[in-house]
Amino acid sequence: MDSQLVEARALEAEITALRRACVEPPAPGEDTSRVRKSFRETYQADSEGWELSKDLRSHLGHLESEIQFLSTLTGISIRHYSKKTEDLTSTEMTEKSIKKVLQRHRLSGNCHMITFQLEFQLLEIQNEESLSSVITDLSIIMEPTEYSELSEFVSRAEERRDLFMFFRSLHFFVEWCEYRKRTFKRFKGLSLTTPLPPTPSTNLAHYMTVIHSWTLAALPSQNPHYEKYPEAVHLSEGASSSCMGIRNPSRPGFELVIVWRIQIDEEGKVLPKLDLLTKVPLQALELDKNGVIETAPLSFRTLLGVLGIEATLESLIKSLHTEASN
Amino acid sequence: MELANTLSQDGESRGGVLAHLERLETQVSRSRKKMEEPQSAQAEESALGTRIHELRRLRDKLRAEVKQHQASVKASTTNVEPDQTLEITEQESLKRKWENVKAILQAYRFTGISGKLTSRGVCVCISTAFEGNLLDSYFVDLVMRKPLQIHHHSIPVFIPLEEISAKYLQTNIQHFLFTLCEYLNAYSGRKYQADRLQSDFEAFLAGPLQRNSLCNLLSFTYKAEPEGQSFPFCARLLYKDLTTTLPTDVTVTYQGTDALSTTQEEQRAAHENLFFTKPLHQVFTSFARKGDKLDMSLVS
Repeated sequence: MDSQLVEARALEAEITALRRACVEPPAPGEDTSRVRKSFRETYQADSEGWELSKDLRSHLGHLESEIQFLSTLTGISIRHYSKKTEDLTSTEMTEKSIKKVLQRHRLSGNCHMITFQLEFQLLEIQNEESLSSVITDLSIIMEPTEYSELSEFVSRAEERRDLFMFFRSLHFFVEWCEYRKRTFKRFKGLSLTTPLPPTPSTNLAHYMTVIHSWTLAALPSQNPHYEKYPEAVHLSEGASSSCMGIRNPSRPGFELVIVWRIQIDEEGKVLPKLDLLTKVPLQALELDKNGVIETAPLSFRTLLGVLGIEATLESLIKSLHTEASN
Repeated sequence: MELANTLSQDGESRGGVLAHLERLETQVSRSRKKMEEPQSAQAEESALGTRIHELRRLRDKLRAEVKQHQASVKASTTNVEPDQTLEITEQESLKRKWENVKAILQAYRFTGISGKLTSRGVCVCISTAFEGNLLDSYFVDLVMRKPLQIHHHSIPVFIPLEEISAKYLQTNIQHFLFTLCEYLNAYSGRKYQADRLQSDFEAFLAGPLQRNSLCNLLSFTYKAEPEGQSFPFCARLLYKDLTTTLPTDVTVTYQGTDALSTTQEEQRAAHENLFFTKPLHQVFTSFARKGDKLDMSLVS
């Protein structure tokens, strides 16, 4: 009898939910998560699962916002993660109350335009006094592969099994790449707007907009008063490349090429390395008595130290510009 | 059975209800030990049974309608796999999603920076490691307000936290966190090397290892061969760059009064080079392996 009552009640609840779902109009192409939520409601009519699912749903939403927040905070988005654990404790070890566990982790995600896929093994040995965790193997796959500076860095990180250094250097590398791209774009006069991350519908939205406004403020070149040089600046491989050419349309044959590489050293330190290449017609070289062109790369380095990157580049552009008007 | 047959001409529905009632009755009589049932209870049960049957039918009808509704919306969503959603209940998929999300949150600690939301903001946890060994973690509790504040933290005093916050905390929080990460990981690495030297290579040390709390100034006297006739050398390692785990300045000197022979001088120079290029405990590992004769190929 009791089971029947329970069943009857469950059926009634289910019917109410189903009725509600039928009344809701279909919304093609609209916010599908909202629609999916209502279906979740309809199918949760198991009497035991009813309350549990409601809690799960709200908790899940909160956790998802937390992930998005962490991703904004660190700049690293983890999309997939899985772990396998293997117990390697032998009977001898158990007698001495030592526990040995091998964990195999798989992680993938992206940091801005670079996606990564990691697989590593973590060996945990626990005895009475302490727990030691050692990464015993690390393998990294990164895309895009056109950043040649990265392949050497990746093999070094794998060799050292230095997971944290990998992420740290990745972050700084990406930061420098973004700065380089913005600087090139700014001189070219291209738009600098970065897409805002989607704001979650919790109070975390406030935190995230705050953080995002900070990272935007850290961008140089948001100043609208900065001058643009669309004709003088030439980005043959696009703003993401490492080269920027400076030409004067009225003086063909002359070109200054700034090569801006971003290198990662042995310790994982990310450093920009800028060089100046000059392309000058032969006759101009002959006329150059003071060897200005020859010493240009060296003067460029000195200027960098004094003015910093952006000011140096701007002064170079301006110098080529004014030469034309003479 | 007989009952059902005689009444089948009256229409399916009534036969169905009666058959259902019969089944319920047999169920009830089978489950109960007592053979006698009060009449009222039986009547109640049969009424309940009817109701349940009706409810079931209504429910199935509505389910079919909702499924149609669902199908028309599904046509516009591209991410959903039709087979999966038909077979697995929403609750199961919800649970799976929840497990996945929880796992990803756990996975953030492998990036070196993870965090937990607090009522005021976020408590960031920075993990450190050296040569694959996971070492200490530190936390920074941030209050999410403008200006951003550090509520409290477990960063040791000798790490220039104030300097780093002054430079980056208000303008670029990612840079702040990763820079702090750099300093902490380097400190952890230096400390690990000094600890290993003290614990694993005590036999090689002629005196105590002198170190400061930041572990960026180390001074010790050692013998490349603990039992042998080799002379004790005095080593002084300075790590001026606090973000590195290798020294920037190395001086290896001989403490004796006699002048060094050529081979000894070679050794001294080679040792100096080793300390520059390899972590401290690895240098001593190579001493232990090769004894007095230093294999120059070890210097990489």
